[in-house]
Amino acid sequence: MSTQAAVLHRMEKSASALVEICSVRLEQALFGVPIHHILEIVGSARPQPVPLAPRFVGGLVHYRGDVLTTVSLRQLLGLPLLDALQDILILESPGGCFGLLVDSVGEVLTLPAADHEPNPSTLDEYRKDLFSGAYKLKGGLLVMLDPERLDPIRLGAARTS
Amino acid sequence: MDDLTREFLIESQEGLDRMERCLTDLEEQPDGTALLAEIFRSVHTIKGTTGFLGFKRLERLAHAGENLLGLLRDGKLSASAPVITGLLQLLDGLRSILRTIEAENHEGEGEDAELICRLEQLQTPAQLAVMRPALVSTAVTSASALEMLPVSALSAPEECEPDAARSRAQANSAAESTLRVDVTLLNRMMNLVGELVLTRNQVLQATASDPALTLLSRRLDMVTADLRESVMKARMQPVSNIFSKMPRIVRDLSQTLHRRVRLQMEGQETELDKSLLEAIKDPLTHAVRNALDHGIEPPAVREAAGKAPEGTLRLRAAQQGSHVIVEVSDDGAGIAVDKIRAKAIECGLITAVRAAQLSERELLQLIFLPGFSTAAQITSVSGRGVGMDVVRTNVEKIGGKVEIDARVGKGTTLRLRIPLTLAIIPALIVRSVGQSFALPQGALSELVRIPPEQAASAIEWIEAAPLYRLRGKLLPLVFLDRLLVLATERERAAGRDHFIAVLDADGRRFGLVVDGLADPEEIVVKPLSAVLKDIGLYSGATVLGNGDLALILDPGAIAMRAGVAMSGEEDTARHTADDAATTAARAAEYLLVEAAGRQAAVPLAEVLRIEQLSVSRIEYIGYRPVLNFAGQLLPVEDTGGVLAAVQNNPEAQIVVVICRDGSRHVGIAVSHVLDVAAGGDLLDAGTSQRSSGVTLLRNRVTGVVDLSAVAQLPACESAAGEWSQLTETVR
Repeated sequence: MSTQAAVLHRMEKSASALVEICSVRLEQALFGVPIHHILEIVGSARPQPVPLAPRFVGGLVHYRGDVLTTVSLRQLLGLPLLDALQDILILESPGGCFGLLVDSVGEVLTLPAADHEPNPSTLDEYRKDLFSGAYKLKGGLLVMLDPERLDPIRLGAARTS
Repeated sequence: MDDLTREFLIESQEGLDRMERCLTDLEEQPDGTALLAEIFRSVHTIKGTTGFLGFKRLERLAHAGENLLGLLRDGKLSASAPVITGLLQLLDGLRSILRTIEAENHEGEGEDAELICRLEQLQTPAQLAVMRPALVSTAVTSASALEMLPVSALSAPEECEPDAARSRAQANSAAESTLRVDVTLLNRMMNLVGELVLTRNQVLQATASDPALTLLSRRLDMVTADLRESVMKARMQPVSNIFSKMPRIVRDLSQTLHRRVRLQMEGQETELDKSLLEAIKDPLTHAVRNALDHGIEPPAVREAAGKAPEGTLRLRAAQQGSHVIVEVSDDGAGIAVDKIRAKAIECGLITAVRAAQLSERELLQLIFLPGFSTAAQITSVSGRGVGMDVVRTNVEKIGGKVEIDARVGKGTTLRLRIPLTLAIIPALIVRSVGQSFALPQGALSELVRIPPEQAASAIEWIEAAPLYRLRGKLLPLVFLDRLLVLATERERAAGRDHFIAVLDADGRRFGLVVDGLADPEEIVVKPLSAVLKDIGLYSGATVLGNGDLALILDPGAIAMRAGVAMSGEEDTARHTADDAATTAARAAEYLLVEAAGRQAAVPLAEVLRIEQLSVSRIEYIGYRPVLNFAGQLLPVEDTGGVLAAVQNNPEAQIVVVICRDGSRHVGIAVSHVLDVAAGGDLLDAGTSQRSSGVTLLRNRVTGVVDLSAVAQLPACESAAGEWSQLTETVR
């Protein structure tokens, strides 16, 4: 209950001019996740692989007494697997918590909401579905990820349909 | 619905549950003033609160009941059978109104005038005087308005007779020291405790080298273990919670069916996880119904058969290791095997040819098939053909097992084996494709190790199907690694051991080949997300003692995926037959052991486990060696002198074969386990009788260990000498 209230509170704040975004790195690319969706960041983890699981599943992690499914951003974007420790963002979604497996978690950026632009129309449909626009930074673009669209249950359903 | 009403509903339900228990007790001791006071209190509380909440219909009914109860309590009226029947009807009336309130938030439109009128009639003793003569002969004339029955038709549970009053007093004080807790909160606590256990394991590892912290971490260890146990206990409830419903059911049914039944209940204090208790409620009720309808005969039939007119129904619960056994047994007609055979053929469940080949025991198992019912006619009680298969399905759903035993004319016993808890299951940790998996022990029947040099010859192939000869029979094999990573190469890396876990999953028997075995562990089952559940091979995940995650394999799903399928009822029947045949074959199989240079045979069917342990685990009561195994104290038989030989070396490893002997377990200390082999019969010279105590193993006459000769604990006499006598190997 209290975490929900806290999330709501933060959401109200993000509705104002400034947005807090956690940046994550995948090879050279920079992605962002709205900070109010993040429950915790687990550093340097090696998830337990699940044989026969859909490709996008990065494995299982143990988080506070529960076993969570992780989604591998690399697999999702068709990048080769990395044989190294990776960072995991524990995300909250309506279907329950899950982990997002990324190369490394960067700093938290505070950005003006005005700097956001929607997905370009030239982006392929698959990526249009995963991304929710981008922020224009000085050094490049920060592609926003929508945690709700990364939910493994939703991805699993999309894969089979 | 407001909180006040909800509170009222919960309290009233509890009050009525108490009232029901007291009423059936009252039948046994009509002068039980404490019982009457308790019943009066329940009804009075309901009446008082309803007036306040404005439930008029409920109030009127409760009021009528209270008047009657008042007379009973003051001794102006005695609690005769019609009065108790009336009160039970009152109970049902109150319950149904409460249910309506719960569902619809108002009392509903029912008409209670008839019931109220009856309750008022019962208040006048004159009315009773008229009825009393009927009491004597009701066994036949059951058509009386109040459906009376002799008081003796139902007996309160025997064990609570002498001290019913005392236990009730205890129950009252217990009510004051308990409180209601939401089950979700308990589940959360269980989860958190699981987390704490893991953290503790890590702390223990991290502080192992620091003497200053050792004491602290040991304390943490103890507190955590205690806490875990307490939380598990908090989820446990005594089986009396469901047993207590049975006297009423038996009473009502025996009236409907014109039976005279005496109900005995044992082991009501046995505790079971709440969710499991819920799950066995229906199967148990069903079993009781069956026992009354099909088991116990009408009084006249019983007398004709030379039995007491009153039948006995026994409910027994007891904990046995990590299981709780619940038994429903009756001394009724038993099950006529011929009828089962005829019925099964008639329903097309098996063919006549097949039926002729089945033994009695195998035929009995047929009643668990869907669509099977021998009741000649359909009654309101049973005979709809949705019977025993539902019992079996429900019990198997929670990882339990159902067995049935019946003897014509003597009675039937239905035995439910229920695991103590669902959240924690014993599992064997196996390794394959470089990671750990948990295999539930329930499905595991044995393990076979194949050394690398034998791998090529031991595993045989028919085209692409690998097979293993397990004691002469072909066992289909499933390679876990191939199943999981879809590797196609037939040759596996040489120089590795193969392990075959022989599994029996929902009647499918196969061997699962894995790369390695780790220790058995009690694992806490964690659910998987829907995406991974859809794979279909895993039933959950768990966190191992070392902090690693392991997927829990679902043996049934693996069998299905690999095509080890058995579908159709004919197949099920055949399987049942196979199963029985296997059991019969097993009886003639022996575990060949060696103790201090001599060989002996242990009947394989009785072997539960083979444990390798250090000799320091063996403790002594007087001169008797005992083993504390999983909380149970086993007498250890050592007439072979294995223990004596290694007495001065506490590090030495010995092997203890743990066997079942009737209802007890015994351990046998041996130096090695050599093999499993089928025994041959030997005939005594001269008499041509089958000789007992010896068997022919690997063409050698070998003594069979007589388990019943292992002395009871505490030991009174020495069993010395028997071992040496039995282990004598005659060449």
